[in-house]
Amino acid sequence: MLKGFGNFLLKELKELVRDPKILLGMIIVPLVMFPVLGAVMNFSMQSAQESAAKTVVLVLNHDAGENSTEFIAYLNSSVRALDVSRNVSTINGAISLLPAYNATEIIEIPANFSQSVTAKTGVYVKFYSVYSGAGILEGIGSSLVDTLVQQFNRNVAPDVVVPEKSVIIKGKVLEGVDPRVLSSLMLSQAIAMPITMLILLTYSMQIAATSVAMEKEEKTLETVLTLPMDRFSILMGKLSGSAIIAGVSAAAYMVGLNYYLGSFTGVTSAGGSLDLVSLGLVPSLFGYLLLGVSLFVTLLSALALAVIMSAFAENVRSAQSLVSYLYPLFFVPSFALMYLDINVLPFWLRIVLYAIPYTHPIIASKAVVMGDYLTVVLGIVYVAAFTLVIMYLASRLFATEKILTAKLKFRGLRKSAKAPAEDFQ
Amino acid sequence: MSVAVEAASVVKVFGNIRALDGLDFSVRAGEIFGLIGPNGAGKTTALRIISTLLLPTSGNLRVFGLDVVQSAAEVRKIITYLPEEAGPYPNLSGWEYLEFMAKFSTKNKDELHGIVEEAAEICGLGERLKDKAKTYSKGMKRRLLVARALMTKPKLAVLDEPTSGLDVLHSYHVREIIKRYVRERGVTMLLSSHNMLEVEHLCERVALLNKGKIVAEGKPQQLKEKFGSANLEEVFAKVVGFA
Repeated sequence: MLKGFGNFLLKELKELVRDPKILLGMIIVPLVMFPVLGAVMNFSMQSAQESAAKTVVLVLNHDAGENSTEFIAYLNSSVRALDVSRNVSTINGAISLLPAYNATEIIEIPANFSQSVTAKTGVYVKFYSVYSGAGILEGIGSSLVDTLVQQFNRNVAPDVVVPEKSVIIKGKVLEGVDPRVLSSLMLSQAIAMPITMLILLTYSMQIAATSVAMEKEEKTLETVLTLPMDRFSILMGKLSGSAIIAGVSAAAYMVGLNYYLGSFTGVTSAGGSLDLVSLGLVPSLFGYLLLGVSLFVTLLSALALAVIMSAFAENVRSAQSLVSYLYPLFFVPSFALMYLDINVLPFWLRIVLYAIPYTHPIIASKAVVMGDYLTVVLGIVYVAAFTLVIMYLASRLFATEKILTAKLKFRGLRKSAKAPAEDFQ
Repeated sequence: MSVAVEAASVVKVFGNIRALDGLDFSVRAGEIFGLIGPNGAGKTTALRIISTLLLPTSGNLRVFGLDVVQSAAEVRKIITYLPEEAGPYPNLSGWEYLEFMAKFSTKNKDELHGIVEEAAEICGLGERLKDKAKTYSKGMKRRLLVARALMTKPKLAVLDEPTSGLDVLHSYHVREIIKRYVRERGVTMLLSSHNMLEVEHLCERVALLNKGKIVAEGKPQQLKEKFGSANLEEVFAKVVGFA
């Protein structure tokens, strides 16, 4: 037995457990965060299933026989299959109808369908799935149609309907691309981007918080506050230093992401290779630029928030604990948007997610791939406005004695004016 | 002789604690004035108000005629403040730290160099100024910071516990710097200490602070004679009714 170990361990536990910041940051926050994440995941699965049940399939029927009518009726038993052959006759015509019917799938039945089914010889039916970059669960509608075709084949004859799969990206048909292969390719992007952003945000905030807390702990902040200089310059100097680091981080992120997205290839049903660059599923130069700006303003707001939070800390350790309270604001939108299309969420939840500034670069990372620049720009405007508000609050804090005296009291998280007196007498 | 610091009925309240409770004292220009008292007496609060870091809850405080609330920016131009147990930036060298601080006083390169050279002479750290400050001992850091506080020739230098935690030799060095600087440059020094014996040998006049109030003020010798005590510690004990 190690002599003195038990006594020392007891002291250590008392020290740690009695520090409310550690208790809150390391125990309470995870206890709350993971149930919230679980609820989000559960909700994701439910909404994906609901959206699959609501899948609308446009059918372009070139066959005049009974079998195609039966096939459409069979599809209609589980999804909403709409025969649009009377309105349009080409796939491009059907694509133009997709938004009007809020449809995500098109099935093109060839003219020899009924004849082939009657003869129980295989017939190639073209399946087109819309890819919109919504999330990991996006391909669920396509999978449902797959299942229906398999069931139809079991009822009629093995492999009588042979699916020929293609995807529709940004309104264009990419022949021979299996949505499942595409989904697995995009999976890398759907997970990697939010995770990398999480790392970047948490790391930058820790740097900024540590920097301010170090100034307080070493009392260099007290010294510079008595110098003949504008106090706003101190704040701007701090933020600019962190922002330069954030800017370099954002640029490094973009370079790394570009390399990462270019490095993924999949195999098509025809045996050829498939990569995101040739599919046009990587951002354009302008898209990268917008994503960089989105990431930069978000980092800046996170840094400003970290500076404010750390002003309430007495030392580096408590600054880092305080900043960790903000982590759920990164984790929840990141994990939620890995799986979810924000547009399928209830209105109130969408508002909550949009209100969190750290949601926007994740939305932007999907939007720039799909060429939806307006969403990115609106996100940038919102986050920039939020950043300005935070910077204004930070400047007010630096202009007063609160930068030295403010502390968080954990009895109800009220700001306390009692504690500083002990230091300043 | 003009007045460097004039405090009149200064009160500072933190929540329900009165850190300063009607503080009245004055510091003459060109003297070393000691604000002494036990821990928690209100010394640091008083020095922070003088240095424009904190606002008084009520009362008036002037530095060379300038109100510390109304003319805070002007006050900052003529004072320097050395917080208790402050440190330099650990990843800057001593020289870089001095240059960084000197740049707030002048943009002229020659003047800047002169100021830093002066600080280098004051602190006496020699070649070690090229090393990062995190490699310095506590005493070396304090000497660097005292030099920083004096190098710009402020009208008033406010030093909070300038020798706190230092060994005998470093304390001696810092005290010698303070005495020499006042003698040669005519800078007014206001310092705080809970080491009353040290202050007795360093300060021309002192104010004894207890529970946010001045309980006695004058020259150390006068106070000792008045209270029939051998040193300021005894004076303090008698004033607060401890002895």
